[in-house]
Amino acid sequence: MSRANAYDSRTLASVSLFAALMAALGLVPKIDLAFGVPITLQGMGAMLAGCLLGPRRAMLAIALFLLGVALGLPLLAGGRGGPGVFIGPTAGFLFGWVLGAGATGLVFRAVLRRLPDPTGWPLMAAAFAASVLGGIVVVYAAGVLGLAAVAHMPLHSAALSMAIFVPGDLVKCAVTAAVVHSVARGLPAWRLDRG
Amino acid sequence: MRSLYSEQRTWMHRVPAWAKLATLAACGAGLALTSRPLPLAAALLAVVLLLASLGEVALRQGRMLRGVLVGAGLIVAFHWMLGTPVLGAAAAMRLASAALLALALTLTTRFDDLLAVLERLLAPLRIFFGLPVDRIALGLGLVLRFAEDFHAQWRRLDDAHRARTGRGGGLRLLAPLTIRALMTAERVADALSARLGR
Repeated sequence: MSRANAYDSRTLASVSLFAALMAALGLVPKIDLAFGVPITLQGMGAMLAGCLLGPRRAMLAIALFLLGVALGLPLLAGGRGGPGVFIGPTAGFLFGWVLGAGATGLVFRAVLRRLPDPTGWPLMAAAFAASVLGGIVVVYAAGVLGLAAVAHMPLHSAALSMAIFVPGDLVKCAVTAAVVHSVARGLPAWRLDRG
Repeated sequence: MRSLYSEQRTWMHRVPAWAKLATLAACGAGLALTSRPLPLAAALLAVVLLLASLGEVALRQGRMLRGVLVGAGLIVAFHWMLGTPVLGAAAAMRLASAALLALALTLTTRFDDLLAVLERLLAPLRIFFGLPVDRIALGLGLVLRFAEDFHAQWRRLDDAHRARTGRGGGLRLLAPLTIRALMTAERVADALSARLGR
C-alpha cells in the first residue's frame, strides 16, 4: 500500500465514525445483565473495531478516540476525559484497547481466511475467538502491567484483582460476535476481510 | 459535545498550551523518578494548592476528583493489606499529583490550542513518515460531529423498542446502531473523497 493510499477517505471515514460510535456508546448508560451485573458498552469498542474494520483501521480508530480523550473531550464512559485518565491505575487498559483491537482484527481475519463459508455460526465463532484473544488476553495483559506499574503491585496481585471482570468481558465477546454476525447479514457489502 | 475545558477564566487560562503541556510532562517525569514519601507529599500539596487557586472551576469537577480519590484510595488500601503502607502512600500520592495536575491542564486549556500544539509536534512525523496530520484534525472533527448523532440514534432506537415492547432495548440496539454507523461511514467516505480528491 503506497503512502498516498494509507490514509485515504475510506480509512478516514471508517476510523473517525467508529471512534464516534465508541464515544456514543460511552454516553449510553450501563446495561444490566441477567444477574444485575452492569456492563459498559464502550468496552466492546476494541473487539468490535477489530472484527469490523480490520486490524489497521481498528487500531487507528481506538487511537483517534483516545487522542480525543487526551485533548479534553469527555468521551470515556462517565464523561471522563483529559490526559489525567491516562495516569490512573486502569490506564494500561486504555492502551490495551489499541493493541487488543489490532490483535482481534488479525485473529479474526486469519480465521476468516480459513473458513470455507464465512457466514453464520462459523463467523460468530471466529468473532468470539478473536474477541477473547484480542479483547481479553491482550487488553488484560496491558491493563495488568499498567496496574502493577502505577500501583506498585506485584504482577500476580494485579492480575488477581482484575480477574473478577473477566466473566463480564466474556459476555462482551459473545455480544460482539452476535453484532458482527448481524452486521454481516445486514450489510452484506461490508468487506470483513479487506481494507 | 462540550470539552471539559472551563469557560470561566482563571490565571492558568492565560498560560500558553505548550507551556502547560511541557510542565505537565516534566512534572510527570519527575514524579515517576521519585519514590520517597516526603518529596511526593510536598509535590501533592503543591498540586492541590495549584488546583485550589483555580477556585470554583476546580471545585465543580466532582466526578473527576472523585475518580482520582478512588484510584488513590484503592492503592493505599491494597498496600495497607499487604503490609507495605509506605509504598502504597507513595504510589497514591504520585498518582494523585499527576492526575490532578493533568486535570488542571484540561480545565484551563482549549481543545483547539492543544490540537495546535499536537500538530506542531507531529509535523516532523508528517515529513518523514507521511503521517496525515491534517487528517487527524479532520478526523477529530468528524468524531465530535457524529458522536452526538449516534447517541441520538441510540435514543430513537430505544424509544422505538420501548414503544413496541414496553422495555428498554439495551444490548439489542447495538447491532442496528453499528449498522447505521457503518452505512454513514460509507456516505461520509464518498463525500470526503469528492472533497479531498482521494
